[in-house]
Amino acid sequence: MQSSLVEGIARVVAIDGRVAWLEPEQTTSCGGCASSGLCGAKGIGTTASRLEMRRFPLTNEPGLIIGERVVVGVDERALLKASGTAYALPLVVMLGAGLVAQWLAGSDAITMATMVIALGVGLAGARWGALSLGARGQLAPRFIRRASTDEFCRTELTKGAR
Amino acid sequence: MQDYVLLMIGAALVNNVILARFLGLCSFMGVTTRIDTAIGMGLATTFVITVSSMANWAVQVYLLEPYGLGYLRTVTFILVIAGAVQFTEMTVRKVSPPLFQMLGIYLPLITTNCAVLGVALLLVEGKMSFIAATLFAFASSIGYSLVMVIFAGLRERLALAEVPRLFAGPPIGFIVASLLALAFLGFSGMNTN
Repeated sequence: MQSSLVEGIARVVAIDGRVAWLEPEQTTSCGGCASSGLCGAKGIGTTASRLEMRRFPLTNEPGLIIGERVVVGVDERALLKASGTAYALPLVVMLGAGLVAQWLAGSDAITMATMVIALGVGLAGARWGALSLGARGQLAPRFIRRASTDEFCRTELTKGAR
Repeated sequence: MQDYVLLMIGAALVNNVILARFLGLCSFMGVTTRIDTAIGMGLATTFVITVSSMANWAVQVYLLEPYGLGYLRTVTFILVIAGAVQFTEMTVRKVSPPLFQMLGIYLPLITTNCAVLGVALLLVEGKMSFIAATLFAFASSIGYSLVMVIFAGLRERLALAEVPRLFAGPPIGFIVASLLALAFLGFSGMNTN
């Protein structure tokens, strides 16, 4: 079965030996909206400092230079697994524990305390799951091609781009 | 237990956040160009709605109601939601930086998602117990995610369809959304009271 890649555009901001450091371009998921220039969501979380936090390394096999824009991709299934690990796992653990606590104790305060503890346990499980995914290299973006000057954040799938 | 199941079905399908209450329409149109993006946004929103609703319930019951501060509800809830989003972002970043790099793009959008505030205000109106409020919020956000994914699937197919130029893009998207809303109207025949 062919895999699909989720593509995005990033800019090379530093070269460290054989590793290139990239920052994703400053876009929001709804950046294609006709009112994006006026939208309040655009100003939140898109400052340079936040982009720095999302800086990621890439092996510099293609010989990238600073300032170059490249198209990088992540396996579509890896994105879904990551979403499930980060969000679904803690929620399921928390809700399950809450239901059990409510059934056993029947008190709002006890249920609340149990759910907060279970959320912590779920987040620990998410950390373990993320480490497992990371160890298999599934979360690392891969180089696809250099971006053209007029190319902006792409959203279509690439079939069998591996 | 049956009450909880009916509450969840009612929140997810009958009174769907997007198609029945018309909340979260910005992300509904903006983040549904692809299924995986919709799933990512849906799961992130589900997490934030559930966690922020738990916090909002506690604030309402233990702070606003006892001290007669009901008039500060909207402002307080917005603050709690922003805090929940920040908490989620920090947690994901601590739990796994690679996950944060992949999923962090959705989180800032959730702060301005009116569905999160809408669900919190609905909880207050409903005067529910803690577990019922949490399940209601969870089911509402599952309904939100479900509609996002269905609509994203339809839009992916629309991208391949030959649509007249006049209707291409958002216009045909709105028409499809209205048909989807009509389909969900069918759930209102279910008696979940």
